[in-house]
Amino acid sequence: MSEVNVNGLKDEIKDLIIEALNIQHVKPEEINTSALLFARDNNLGLDSIDAIEIVMAVQRKYNIRITDQNLARTVLESIDSIADFVAKELAHAE
Amino acid sequence: MREIPFKHRMGAHCESGTVSSLLNHAGMEITEPLVFGIAGGSFFGYMNTPFFSFPTIILRNRPGQIRTKVAKRLGIPFNTQKFRNQKAGIEALDTLLEQNIPTGAQVDFFYMKYIPEWQRVHINVHYITVTGKNEENYILSDSYYPKIAELDKELMRKARSAGGNMAPKGFLFYPGKIPETVPFDKAIIAGIKSACNNMLKLPVPFIGVKGIYRFAEKIMEWPRLARDIEHLSHEIMKINVLLEDQGTGGAGFRYMYATFLQQASGIINNPTLSEMSKRMMEIGDGWRNISYIAAKIGKKRELGENNLKELSNLIKGRGDLEKAFFQDLVKTV
Repeated sequence: MSEVNVNGLKDEIKDLIIEALNIQHVKPEEINTSALLFARDNNLGLDSIDAIEIVMAVQRKYNIRITDQNLARTVLESIDSIADFVAKELAHAE
Repeated sequence: MREIPFKHRMGAHCESGTVSSLLNHAGMEITEPLVFGIAGGSFFGYMNTPFFSFPTIILRNRPGQIRTKVAKRLGIPFNTQKFRNQKAGIEALDTLLEQNIPTGAQVDFFYMKYIPEWQRVHINVHYITVTGKNEENYILSDSYYPKIAELDKELMRKARSAGGNMAPKGFLFYPGKIPETVPFDKAIIAGIKSACNNMLKLPVPFIGVKGIYRFAEKIMEWPRLARDIEHLSHEIMKINVLLEDQGTGGAGFRYMYATFLQQASGIINNPTLSEMSKRMMEIGDGWRNISYIAAKIGKKRELGENNLKELSNLIKGRGDLEKAFFQDLVKTV
């Protein structure tokens, strides 16, 4: 998958997270795609329940399962890592 | 310093991950899901005994059984040692490393300090592979960690000699010589039959599908068993931890079992198993949803009868699906 598509995916994933978690205090453009999603200083303020909600939202939108917790910890590190994972899985499925 | 070349792999679960890594190192190509499935790993138990301070669920067979069942069904000998004396346990491990043998070890997970502190709890049945040592540390491969790690020798001693239930007692294991031919077909079929038996036929009312139904029924009584709303909230949220977080491979091991069936389908040339794999993935999705709802209502303290009833109905639904699934699965082999 091309770089352009990965960047497009990053925007999609930002929107997906905002919608799935009903986040109203942060706009997509205010999200740093390389920032650690679950760091205490992240402006999204996510917790472990949000993590599972993101996993389920990714599955609903892209039909991609993040099947285990160790994988989830790596994939959910940042928007960038989610986009990379989704891009790789979509390419693999083609 | 001594470090044995060892291909580190992350895994969904420590025991199946460790056993598959050790077997691959010994020259046998096998995936973690195959190890899990051949061991008949899919399981459910609703436990309410004096041993537990509150009812709990168990999603896998007894620790150690993945190794023993795989060894038996694939005909691979495993060398094992337990120690009453800590010094003897340390010497035995060091001797094996000097012989270039990567060695599986049972440890208390709490002492694995390379894992973030908030993830570490005292569990005496964590498994790692020790692959070397230097002046201060042991070098090891842990399925839960993305790369080869190091652990201070003193922490390793504590981890191997922790007391309490299922104490490690310095337990070490490593595979012997891999036979030239390994009966994969028979082992896969035996593993599937074993899982079906565990889920459908054990004459115990709290194990297998009967255990899922009991869980669905008894969760309605949890408010009466809990000390207060905080305690109830903690126990309900623990469902999420047990289904998704404590080395379950996700959705109570159901995703890993589905992957096993997919891989087994190709190995034994049985396309029906591939279809069964898809069904098991969907069953896993349902468990993940239960895990999510439990976490959500637990966190918000929304633990009224209606929400618990919804959770109970979802669990019962999994019971119905798993009953039908394993009844169909056993007919395929």
